[in-house]
Amino acid sequence: MNLLIELFAGLGLEGAWPLTFAYAVCIGSLLGFVTVYAMFAIWMERKVAAHIQMRYGPMETGAFHGWAQSLADALKLLFKEDLLPTRANAFLFWIAPAVVFCGVFAGMIVIPFAAGIQIVDLDLGIFFIIAISSVEVVGVIMAGWASNSKYSLFGAVREAAQVVSYELPAATALLAPILIVGSFKLGDFNAYQAEHGWLILANPLMPIAALCYFISSLAGCKRAPFDLPEAESELVSGFHTEYSGMRFSFFFLEEYVSMFVVSLLMASLFFGGTTLPFDLGGFGNWTEWARAETLGAAASLANATPEAIAAAARARTEAGPFADIGNLIGAHAGLAILILKTFFFIFVQMWLRWTLPRLRVDQVMTVGYKYLLPWGLFAVMGTAAWEVLV
Amino acid sequence: MEALEMYTTDDRSDVYTEELKLNLGPQHPSTHGVLRVELKMDGEVITQSRCDIGYLHRCAEKIGENVSYLQFTPYTDRMDYLASMNNNLAWSLTVEKMLDLEVPERAQWLRMICCELNRIASHLIAFGTYGIDIGANTPFFYAFRDREKIMALLERPSGTRMLYNYIQPGGLRRDVDDNWVDDVLTFCGEFEKAWVEYNTLLSHNRIFIGRTANIGIIPREMALDFGLSGPVLRASGVKWDLRRDVPYLAPYDEVDFEVPIGEGTYGTLGDCWDRYWVRMREMMESIRIIRQGCAKLPGGEVMTKKQKSMYKTPMKPGPGHAYMRCENPRGELGFYVVSEGGASPIRNRTRAPSFCNLAVLDQLLPGTMLGDAVAIIGSLDIVLGEVDR
Amino acid sequence: MNESAIHQSLLAAGIAGVGDLDESSKDPTIEVQPEALVETMTWLRDDAGCAMEMLHLVTAVEREDRMDLVYHLSSLAKHHSITVRVSVARPEGDVEFVPEVPSVASVFSSADWHEREQWDLLGVRFAGHPDHRRILLPEEWIGHPLRKDYVYPSEHGGIPLELDAVPIYEKAPAGEAAERVSEPRPAGAPLTQPPSEPSHRPHAGGKAPDKTKDQS
Repeated sequence: MNLLIELFAGLGLEGAWPLTFAYAVCIGSLLGFVTVYAMFAIWMERKVAAHIQMRYGPMETGAFHGWAQSLADALKLLFKEDLLPTRANAFLFWIAPAVVFCGVFAGMIVIPFAAGIQIVDLDLGIFFIIAISSVEVVGVIMAGWASNSKYSLFGAVREAAQVVSYELPAATALLAPILIVGSFKLGDFNAYQAEHGWLILANPLMPIAALCYFISSLAGCKRAPFDLPEAESELVSGFHTEYSGMRFSFFFLEEYVSMFVVSLLMASLFFGGTTLPFDLGGFGNWTEWARAETLGAAASLANATPEAIAAAARARTEAGPFADIGNLIGAHAGLAILILKTFFFIFVQMWLRWTLPRLRVDQVMTVGYKYLLPWGLFAVMGTAAWEVLV
Repeated sequence: MEALEMYTTDDRSDVYTEELKLNLGPQHPSTHGVLRVELKMDGEVITQSRCDIGYLHRCAEKIGENVSYLQFTPYTDRMDYLASMNNNLAWSLTVEKMLDLEVPERAQWLRMICCELNRIASHLIAFGTYGIDIGANTPFFYAFRDREKIMALLERPSGTRMLYNYIQPGGLRRDVDDNWVDDVLTFCGEFEKAWVEYNTLLSHNRIFIGRTANIGIIPREMALDFGLSGPVLRASGVKWDLRRDVPYLAPYDEVDFEVPIGEGTYGTLGDCWDRYWVRMREMMESIRIIRQGCAKLPGGEVMTKKQKSMYKTPMKPGPGHAYMRCENPRGELGFYVVSEGGASPIRNRTRAPSFCNLAVLDQLLPGTMLGDAVAIIGSLDIVLGEVDR
Repeated sequence: MNESAIHQSLLAAGIAGVGDLDESSKDPTIEVQPEALVETMTWLRDDAGCAMEMLHLVTAVEREDRMDLVYHLSSLAKHHSITVRVSVARPEGDVEFVPEVPSVASVFSSADWHEREQWDLLGVRFAGHPDHRRILLPEEWIGHPLRKDYVYPSEHGGIPLELDAVPIYEKAPAGEAAERVSEPRPAGAPLTQPPSEPSHRPHAGGKAPDKTKDQS
């Protein structure tokens, strides 16, 4: 992002224009990424579901396994009639999908896709993501209420109870890696894990924290087995029953984007982010380059610690004679590694959805408050104790 | 202090809550047809429920008074459209009782095999759709894969995949082809493996048990009082199966099979899981019956010439009445026919198992949550075609 | 026990109003007077020898001179079953016939819905029924369709009901062959008759119906 600002300033724009243009380009490219990703994720969900159910899924649209199915669906949704139920609150009905989508989309601006590819590097990275993602609850309640339908209301109220309750164990479980690394910034997690190995192996309680976070995030994304708010067999479609066309697709987008954010957090915080702990070999040692680039990016930031700079220098030496072009390949390799890990977790989420039945609402509350929250707290306190004693 | 007192959890009369009236159906993904249940809810908990049926009423009983005995057979298919063979059998047996018709032995054995195949198909739908009701969308596809095989098997003698109209008063409409019995046995082998898959996927899944155990408990006394039958009755611990206790088809006496009853394995006796598990075990018992039936199948014809010639003129039993009942996958299906000697009965009444089983719903729902309501309706396994006729 | 043994023990119980065992048809039936119905049912359920735990079916049968109510009971423990019949005579003259019979819903809960259905379709009143409403037809329906003298309504809720039903067999008097009263469909003829009036649905492009025309 700083690069872009410099770029635009260099082109001769003054005042607030470079910043504005830089933001426009960043948000635009992020939107583009999100849309393409969502289409791919929906196609992937349909294929995963189909193969779990012993059928093929989309095969016709597009020559290879129906890859263009999502594109066709998106076009269809664009052309659908825009319905408003009678006596529905038009303003809330209209704005609810926007609130829901924006809440989750805003969380993506702090995500480091790779070293240096990050829109804003906030000091409060993770905290910001958790906080801003809760805005979607407001949107969902608006959607359920404004639809003037009892079924939608049911979905909205269940959603409010569920998502808000599960933020507690999710945030608590995330405290464990934050304790170890010592900062909220997401870039620092990549750097720490590049140097010290995957955080999930840092101490015996980290797997508990990781599991706790994963399950809580499933509930936060309203994915099965916690998909009560949109329980198809009970509530027809829950809070988005009355929505059609592009408005409905906003809810859909929001679900997949929050799946992406959550999987990316899992990958970044627990499973190494942009690095691999071992050397895969292949052409040169691209995994080493990814490590080096990660550490180098961390070191190049204004408030890098001396240890980070030293570690970066060390990593550059270890990277070998091809380290110069290694920067570029390393950055891309890091991005590829991160994306692969993220998609693995997205696949696990889909796998769970199509295998497990749904929990009832009081069981959801029980699991959240009586099981996940205590386990998350135990993991945090255990991690703190481990850090002090070991 | 008054302000604080208003928000204590004990004294709810000061907190203003409204009761929500919710309509479950008639269009709903989980009511197994066009069933409407009016619910009064306090939040997520149902306080009162009232069933409203009749959306699929197609005047079958009035039609039965206007068409002949043979012509009514296709109408019986359409009552419980998921177990058409069993419906046809019950009607054919009633007519045979009124007319004292003899059915050839081969026809009786083939009737038994076809009815048991249809029982498996019907229970597979119950299993698959119950998974969807609870939220597991995958078992449905596995169940329908096996149901396709059954429908293909039953299509060969009868000509249709559903609504067979195959078992007629006097025998069967036509005989099966030469390879049919071998294909049925092949299917039995495949199904036994698939049954293990179903259990791994759904039956012992912790979440499924949490959703169905201790839900919708029907005690034995309530089951008998409400005239319940079929798996719903057996899950409450009553060992009553018409195939064994009121033998209506001779071959059932010559085959060996168990009658599974509920045991309260994961929760209380008579809960949703027990009803589900009774159906699962009944599928395996049906496979046993089919294997034995195929082994002992005698040769011969399936409809005597005398009866075939009877089809040219309408059957006319003497004045009187008869009630004949059979074990449908859903319970006891009975036909009560009153004749005054004419070509059609003057009263043709169907005792539909789903109609009787559904009556207990209004007792089971109050006190449960909306998710449980769906689980209970699914476990009763109703088909609106025979509830409303 | 077979039916006559059940009948004997019922007679021995001394309930006034229990009649004979009608063995003329396939299912032997005990005739009972309407006043004795509830007591008879209770006795059949509670007696240790009969132990009829289940009431399977309640059917009303409309005959020319009376309305019969037929009850099918069975015992799971004793493996026997019995049929009980109650008759209400049709009154003389051209009077609307609404037979009334005591409800057995207090004895067997399964009778609840069966009796509602018989009220709905045949117009039999059940005294003491907890929820005496129609069950299959909408509440505002007029008439009891299974009655032999039922006249189909010409419209319901504004929708005209045309009935082109052609009876195939006419009900013959006892002992005679039924005559076919309609011609078989000639080969090649269409399976459905085209509607006699254009469609009334607004989108179909037909004209709106002329509401002043008689639509019977």
